[in-house]
Amino acid sequence: MAARSQRFLTAFALVVACALLSAAPQQQRIVSLVPALTEMLFAIGVGSSVIGVSNFDAFPPDVSRLPRVGALLDPDTERILSLRPTLVLIYGSQTDLQAQFRRAGIRTYVYRHGGIRTIYQSLQELGDATDHRPQADRVVRDLRARIDAVRTRVAGRPRPRVLLVIGRQPKTLREIYVSGGRGFLHEMLDIAGGQNVFADIARESAQPSQETLIARAPEVVIEVHAEGMFKTSTAEAERAVWSSLPSLPAVRNRRVHVLIGQYLVVPGPRFAEATETLARTLHPEAFK
Amino acid sequence: MTLSADRISYSYSPAKTLPPEGGSHEFTLTDVSVAVSPGSLTGLLGPNGCGKTTLLKLLSGVLKPDSGSVRLGQDELRALSTRAIAQQIAVVPQETHPAFDFTVMEMVLMGRHPHLGAFQLEGPGDLAIAREALVATGTAHLAARAYMTLSGGEKQRVVIASALAQKPKVLLLDEPTASLDLGYQLEIAALLTELNRERGVTMVLATHDLNLAASLCDRLVLVREGRVLMQGPTREALTSATVQQLYGVIADVAFHERAGHLTVIPVSRQ
Amino acid sequence: MSEVIALDQSAHVRPIRTRLAVTLFTFGVLAVVACVLAPLVGSTRISLARAFDRSIPFADNVDAQIFFIARLPRVLAAALVGSALATAGVVFQALLRNPLATPFTLGVSAGASLGAMLVMIAGVGVTAGPVSAVPLASFAGAAVATLIVYVLATPYRRAMSTAVLLLAGVTLNSFFSAIIMFVQYVADFAEAYRAARWLMGDLDVGSFDPLIAAAPLVVIAFGMFALLPSALNVLSLGPDAAATRGVDVARTQRLAFFSAALATSAAVSLAGPIGFIGIVVPHLVRLLVGVDHRIVLPASALFGATFLVVCDLGARTLLAPVEIPVGIVTAMIGGPFFLWLLVRKGS
Repeated sequence: MAARSQRFLTAFALVVACALLSAAPQQQRIVSLVPALTEMLFAIGVGSSVIGVSNFDAFPPDVSRLPRVGALLDPDTERILSLRPTLVLIYGSQTDLQAQFRRAGIRTYVYRHGGIRTIYQSLQELGDATDHRPQADRVVRDLRARIDAVRTRVAGRPRPRVLLVIGRQPKTLREIYVSGGRGFLHEMLDIAGGQNVFADIARESAQPSQETLIARAPEVVIEVHAEGMFKTSTAEAERAVWSSLPSLPAVRNRRVHVLIGQYLVVPGPRFAEATETLARTLHPEAFK
Repeated sequence: MTLSADRISYSYSPAKTLPPEGGSHEFTLTDVSVAVSPGSLTGLLGPNGCGKTTLLKLLSGVLKPDSGSVRLGQDELRALSTRAIAQQIAVVPQETHPAFDFTVMEMVLMGRHPHLGAFQLEGPGDLAIAREALVATGTAHLAARAYMTLSGGEKQRVVIASALAQKPKVLLLDEPTASLDLGYQLEIAALLTELNRERGVTMVLATHDLNLAASLCDRLVLVREGRVLMQGPTREALTSATVQQLYGVIADVAFHERAGHLTVIPVSRQ
Repeated sequence: MSEVIALDQSAHVRPIRTRLAVTLFTFGVLAVVACVLAPLVGSTRISLARAFDRSIPFADNVDAQIFFIARLPRVLAAALVGSALATAGVVFQALLRNPLATPFTLGVSAGASLGAMLVMIAGVGVTAGPVSAVPLASFAGAAVATLIVYVLATPYRRAMSTAVLLLAGVTLNSFFSAIIMFVQYVADFAEAYRAARWLMGDLDVGSFDPLIAAAPLVVIAFGMFALLPSALNVLSLGPDAAATRGVDVARTQRLAFFSAALATSAAVSLAGPIGFIGIVVPHLVRLLVGVDHRIVLPASALFGATFLVVCDLGARTLLAPVEIPVGIVTAMIGGPFFLWLLVRKGS
């Protein structure tokens, strides 16, 4: 009698355990190679599930204690696998990596680089992938609201011709990289009430010659840089470098702005804040 | 002006100089004394590796002896600049390979380099000397040709002309006919004889070719393993005995009536 | 007697003074014409009348700004760099006794590139007055490479062995190139792209400051070059043959090596490593005027300037408004030219 009840109890316990296990939400373990996507994960509330990030991740501060697993050119496959992820966020060009993970039975999400609409879409897709769609939708709604607010504030104001500089060497104006007429930076500028002088270039970035810079005669120059070679402490000195092109209306009218911060150049959930910064820079009177 | 070496010794080591490019490695010279009187045609004779090229380089000032001295007249070569030496001593190497496609005239005019100042271009006087050298070597008709397109004999004659353009007191030649066909060998030999006999150019010739030495030189310096075996007028220096000592070969040395000079016929190995 | 007369009538025996004068005049005129005409043309249409109209204040005169700030320094930079690289090419070819040598053969350019990379990617922002970080680091890198090669190739203060020189230079080239690749690999995307772009060459200086920094170095190099031509002729016969014609071989080699390295360093620091000038121009010039260095050297200096000014003109106008990196234009001209040279020599 005792032996049989023991066996029955054990079986019962096992069945209950299985039922409980399958009913509980599977614990997520997410590795992200894309900083923009990492930020999105934290924004939609699954930050606690992130167990590994790329070498270039810096936001939010929580990621500083997470293991680093490489980046676009050098993803550390072994390290990633050793973390036993359930989902890995990778770049579109990392096809080999994708195939490896598929063979290992690990889900992947592929990053798409695009404009603001892509940012919203990525947020929602990540929401789907992590069972946090409602939270993602909320984030998207908030962002849209902030963007609309910016639009309203600057509506009706004259739109100056802006040179949006996205990269250069410190202390010199040679080899300037600017935003072309595509991509999230261009769209942010547009929302913030500025007219990109290189809107006609159908690319995200371009390297115009000095001659072209002078010919386009921008009224405002805005530089956006992540912290690194450009620091807040040197921003003023870097502004002064533009005095070597005194012909530009922006230089003559002292409308050269050097903005420093990673949030400005990452196509992630902080883009709304970046757009607000741009708008404030272009139309300070609208924010009084 | 006598070119003389007084008890010179030299040992070749990498610290002193770079290995001769493309040439054979010759090593130690010990206690060598040589005197080249003006107007003579002296031969440095010996088997390959005996040190005759090294001796020639020491006589030209390219190498400096470890001990002893080389003098031109009263001046020690060591005390003279490369320029000063080149104004008095010229060297014809075994082969000359210019890296660029110079014309014959340009090659010969390079012989004027030691006589021109830093920024000086050659003047009519230099051109005249160059032309004269070309005529003396029978290469005037080649003046506008590219050096590299010439035959072996023509090339060597041009190099001799270039050396003559230096207006040297002594002309040193290192195996001048070694890489030439028989016909060209005779050609160069005749030229050298003419330059020495009729124009009085003092010459020192390093060679391993016994018959060439016999036909050209009035004095011989026999060099074996870095030492002078003997030196003196050709008739005295070149005998069966000395040939055997120098080359380890049994040979007949006899005066050839038709050729007009001594000839050496190897008979057998020792 | 008739031999002597025949001599005088042959073209190659024209006195060198005449040939030098004619060559300098022709190539000089060509260079001046190129430098004067090039700023008049560009990707943007400007009105020359407006550009030179003094009555319009400079700040309002876009045409004048384009001409004097964007184009003129650029054309002058092209002339300076082209001249320096072409002449350095001639000197290196004579030093190495090899017509295929280039200013980049001995690792000077690799050192310059590495210096530039380290600053671009490591982000060290040291400047010296008007000279910004990248050209400064680039020049320092070139100097380090030059010294390493020199020390390796010159034992005991004796003459250089061209074989060792070549080996040291090629080895240094490979070594530095490997480091450059590694540095690019660990850089982030944008920095790596910028580094790759720098390696293609860029003459768009945008002001006279970089020129003012580089010009004195090039002038010093040219001053040293002026002492060389006759000795280089003789040196190309080989070191022993040169010594017996009165050339101080060790001194000439040192002078040639350092002057050519200086010119190359200055040029690469200013505009990045622009290839093919150092070999195309000397060869073209030799085809036209012969191989006497007393003529080839100044002619190459002048023709090098013309050549790069024209190449840069093409780079900034052929696909306007897109700019082709000038190193690509020189390569597209230089590559086929080289093939043609090889075919010609082979046949």
